[in-house]
Amino acid sequence: MTMMEEAASQLERDHVHSVYDKIAPYFNDSRYKAWPKVRQFLLDLQPGSIVADVGCGNGKYLHINKDVFKLGCDVCRPLVDIAWSQGHEVQMCDGLHLPYRDGCFDAVLSIAVIHHFSTKERRIRAIKEMARTLRVGGRIMIYVWAMEQKRRKFEKQDIFVPWNPNPHSPSGFKPRRRGATQSVSEVIDNTDKHRKVKSTSSMVDEEDITCSTPQQRTQRLWFFSRSLDSVFDFGSLAISRSSSRDLSTLSSPTGENEGNKAGQLGRRRSLIKQVSSFFSPSSMISSEEDVFGSVTDLHKGRKDAGGTTCTSSSTENQGVSVALVQECDSMALPDLVPYQKEHLKQTGDKEGDRDPPGKEQEQQESTQSPLDGEGQVDGSCLRYYHVFREGELAELIENHIEELHVTHTYFDHANWCVVAEKIQQVVDKGNYTSFTCPVLALNITVESLHCPLQQ
Amino acid sequence: MKLLTHNMLTSHVKGVTKGYPLLIKATEVKVNEVEFNPEFVSRMIPKLEWSALVQAAEGLGHLHELPAELTPDYEKNEEFLKKAHRVLLEVEVIEGCLQCPESGREFPISRGIPNMLLNEDEV
Repeated sequence: MTMMEEAASQLERDHVHSVYDKIAPYFNDSRYKAWPKVRQFLLDLQPGSIVADVGCGNGKYLHINKDVFKLGCDVCRPLVDIAWSQGHEVQMCDGLHLPYRDGCFDAVLSIAVIHHFSTKERRIRAIKEMARTLRVGGRIMIYVWAMEQKRRKFEKQDIFVPWNPNPHSPSGFKPRRRGATQSVSEVIDNTDKHRKVKSTSSMVDEEDITCSTPQQRTQRLWFFSRSLDSVFDFGSLAISRSSSRDLSTLSSPTGENEGNKAGQLGRRRSLIKQVSSFFSPSSMISSEEDVFGSVTDLHKGRKDAGGTTCTSSSTENQGVSVALVQECDSMALPDLVPYQKEHLKQTGDKEGDRDPPGKEQEQQESTQSPLDGEGQVDGSCLRYYHVFREGELAELIENHIEELHVTHTYFDHANWCVVAEKIQQVVDKGNYTSFTCPVLALNITVESLHCPLQQ
Repeated sequence: MKLLTHNMLTSHVKGVTKGYPLLIKATEVKVNEVEFNPEFVSRMIPKLEWSALVQAAEGLGHLHELPAELTPDYEKNEEFLKKAHRVLLEVEVIEGCLQCPESGREFPISRGIPNMLLNEDEV
């Protein structure tokens, strides 16, 4: 396995699989309704169709349309158990290796799944796998989180999103004006109210502490990351010299062979581990839905009426947030650059001092690493997402997956959606690719110009 | 795991070319009552590998006169469709494993759920 593959795999293990494992018991069906267009896609299928929901989670789409046979699969055992308890046929597997024979499905669903794959190559492979299991003429529907939202846009495409088991009900919103405190949210107020998370440190300010619950503050936190793709592309890196040296020795072909391989492996693992270890705040924070809700309601106060599982005091929470920031600032991370630092580098930041008062004190607290929480439900609950730009998903399919042809693309409730049809069966035999052309009923073998799985 | 599902499943261990059909080794099997929909069953049949279904049902001791070959006009043969319905949708493997016919690798089934996750070295 290449280093890239290993890093990608590790990232997904830490920030997708293990998070869903932990939060599965808290998933509540009523919070997540089936998207109407997905429902319609299923209802439009011919009776007797066989459909696979790849990444089915707790199976919320598996009950729709009793005239079609649905099966679901997911990596997350607790979620799959829930789906089975609802009477659905489900399996455990991973999206890059589907245990289904070629062309056995009439339709495939991939709803809010492939945005969890951490590299472009893996996202392509995941779609190719699903395409493999589709029959010619079959259709696939893919939903992924959009970078562009109604009232805001994610600044970057690769993010870590915290999770909160207790979503706020929409009726609990109360508009609230910000005071005079220096904060990014103030800057946001002044710039068309577009959501811009600049720096995690800017999220922690005094007004926040006094006026909001820990959940409200940390709800607004999510962390921007570089994509793993860019980490391994040194032209675009903007990190400290020492870690870029580390990385280049680890990644260059000669680097891997020379010197102490064991030492390099160890360093590489610890670099990857460092990244993971930063994302274990001691309290659970935002729900999946609430990330969007809380973002659009940045300026509104919200009371968490339902009570929470968070037992930390506000000071401790603040300490956690600041500590995370501190760690980000002081350690050179291979794929996480605090936005503030990067922003300063790139644009010559004009915003004022973001450090909240009393930060020194929090620094003290933070040295006690409030980042432990491993093994507890409320640790490590940040999920990795690659949010998609407009057109990105359709382009990905058109440019890299010849067996699929995009028939519809649209925006739905914060997702980019694509429906594609399988137009040919591809059998890759090394340097030769065989097509079954359905119209001519011919088998055609051509010498491949490139290996489809390599970028 | 129902036998309709089993009919779609294949071993995907690296290097295996003939991973289908998986051999069922069941330690617990259940038979449920499922609402019979003749149109549904009849449309499902062309999508199946029929011999794999027969083999699987036989292995579980639940063949119950299901024919080894499809007869013409099976779509209108209600008795046949009922037998197919039973084997496809009512027989369920709760515990056991699925064995790759080529590599021998066993994929466990527990609480009705086959675990098809591969290890790092099988990928």
